Amino acid sequence: MKIRRLLLLAAIIGLVLVPVLLSQSLINAAIQMLIASLFACAFSLLCGQGGMLSFGHAAYFGVGAFATVHAMNAFGGAGLLPTPFLPLVGAAMGLVVGLIAGWFATKRTGVYFAMITLALAELLYALAPHIKGWFGGEAGVSSMRMPAFGLSFGSNTQVYYLTLAWVLVSLGLLYLFTLTPLGRLTLGLRENARRLSFLGYDVHRVSVLVFAISAMFSGIAGSLQALNMEAANYVIFDLQGSAEVLLNSFIGGVTVFLGPALGAALMTFFGYLVSDMTHAWLLYKGLLFVVVMLFIPRGIAGLVQSVTADIRRQGLARMAPSMALYVAASILLMAGTVYLVEMLQRFFSQDYRSLAALNGKGWPPIAVFGSHWAPTSVLTWAAPILALIAGLAVLRLAHARWTSILENEEGVQTLLARDSAAARGQP
Amino acid sequence: MNRMPILSLRDVHKSFGQTPIIRGVDLDIVPGERHALIGPNGAGKSTLFHLISGQIAPTRGKIDLDGRPIQGLPAQQVNRLGLARSFQITNVFPGLTVFENLRLAAMRPYGLQYVFWTLIKTRRRITAQVEQLLEQVRLQARADTLASELSYSEQRSLEIAMTLASDPKVIMLDEPMAGMSNEETDYTLALIREVTQGRTLLIVEHDMNVVFTLGDRISVLVYGRIIATGTPDEIRNNGLVKEAYLGEEMAQ
Repeated sequence: MKIRRLLLLAAIIGLVLVPVLLSQSLINAAIQMLIASLFACAFSLLCGQGGMLSFGHAAYFGVGAFATVHAMNAFGGAGLLPTPFLPLVGAAMGLVVGLIAGWFATKRTGVYFAMITLALAELLYALAPHIKGWFGGEAGVSSMRMPAFGLSFGSNTQVYYLTLAWVLVSLGLLYLFTLTPLGRLTLGLRENARRLSFLGYDVHRVSVLVFAISAMFSGIAGSLQALNMEAANYVIFDLQGSAEVLLNSFIGGVTVFLGPALGAALMTFFGYLVSDMTHAWLLYKGLLFVVVMLFIPRGIAGLVQSVTADIRRQGLARMAPSMALYVAASILLMAGTVYLVEMLQRFFSQDYRSLAALNGKGWPPIAVFGSHWAPTSVLTWAAPILALIAGLAVLRLAHARWTSILENEEGVQTLLARDSAAARGQP
Repeated sequence: MNRMPILSLRDVHKSFGQTPIIRGVDLDIVPGERHALIGPNGAGKSTLFHLISGQIAPTRGKIDLDGRPIQGLPAQQVNRLGLARSFQITNVFPGLTVFENLRLAAMRPYGLQYVFWTLIKTRRRITAQVEQLLEQVRLQARADTLASELSYSEQRSLEIAMTLASDPKVIMLDEPMAGMSNEETDYTLALIREVTQGRTLLIVEHDMNVVFTLGDRISVLVYGRIIATGTPDEIRNNGLVKEAYLGEEMAQ
């Protein structure tokens, strides 16, 4: 518990120091990471805690953003509220739209709930470009941040601190929410909604409230996005936004409170880092999601949780070799996959085809990982495949070691149990 | 037994499509009695439970709880008027701790369901009540265990505690002993006897031993009709019952 608090404190101090330590473009990435984190946590309130899988959360993010842009433009550009308080407008809009959409969506559960949220978001996406007055058509609506309280809000750094403050306060409120009566009921909703109604609760009303609160915090995230961009465009309602927050949350792990925030921050940073390096970055993102869902369904936070629990139980010394093996296996598998993907992607690209045609004599070498590889050479294809095979072999080894440690522990426990039974004078 | 019934059914019918399941049930439960409902498989016992607890609405007929009509009301309203039930198949919150399960059940009468501005910890009375319930059903040691990790009979105890939590006027238990070993049955029987002291209980149970020791009165439901109501002795000696129900058991 104490360690967790210290970690949290360290993380907050680290976040406060970001503008001092990082370059301008990284500060911008950090703002995106913060916004995505808040959005993911807001989404997970509904999905992870309430058990209601929404496929259309971009809608509430989007209305928050548009409400904020309009609020910034109000009174001839003077703004409805001073700049630091503008997210309140996004929150209000998210709450209102969430109440309305939630009232319909939570009439059903499971797949039907997901379909209704999807349909509502798609409805907004289809309508938005036609309602020019609200959503500004294809061009969107743009605005300017006004100075307030002696701050200009002209620099990235000031926007960063504004975003950080809002995200920290919102995350804090979302955490406190889990400790309130309604927050506890939210878990009951996920576990067994039918039982709740036999305990005398109005399940529909509780669901609508949870939905609206989730939408409200999504609205705040959207609002921060609008403040950062000084604009909003109807593409914000695109299904991609809804899918992204879902993937981020699950990669981070919806069973731990800060899991979704972690996942969103990591994935946003991953996108920032990798999207410049390769055309195939969306493929990597997809692969990552599939791998996480297949092998660590509780997400990164769940993995961290179980590893720390194991270390506590087994001791680091016993764990370290298998952990090192797992890491080695992951590196080998990743290297093999990335090499193969990059190689194939370049090989099948239009540019390379024309180059080869112009060249006239066979396939020119392809540059990957800082050296040139001939596509006709055996080594070029054998290297990644060998890396993959080696990776799988190391993985098996790591797995075998790990299972034997666990089995040993079980053996010890049965022995202990037998001893204590003998001590009580039982057979 | 001349007191106003706390739960009364008048000419209750239920059909699923063309098929009548409940065919005119009249039943009076008086305050403070333990009333057992028995009947052969397919007699409609569970359907009758669903009708009373608001899971499904009767096709026609009248159901009164403490003088107020409840037929056709949704489950949560029936519960709020003072009727709590358990389920034949264990129906708890599997991913939550035992404590949390009971807190959700105990919280309802305090009207906190839409409250998100106070922390639940600060409601000491709820915590105290949960601890008392844990003690009543002897699950104190399991308070922090996930409900899904409890043994079967512990889950049934939890289920009973959850029905008690809202301090209902009428408790309905649907086959609380189903699937239990003899020891577990004895244990649960004692538990039910203890926790329903001074309360009104309507119970469906297949174990005749339980029915005849626990029930102050017994009603026999056969093909959607109550064919007899009376004390255990009256039921044991009732010719109709023997023919329709017990005879069937003896023949086996």
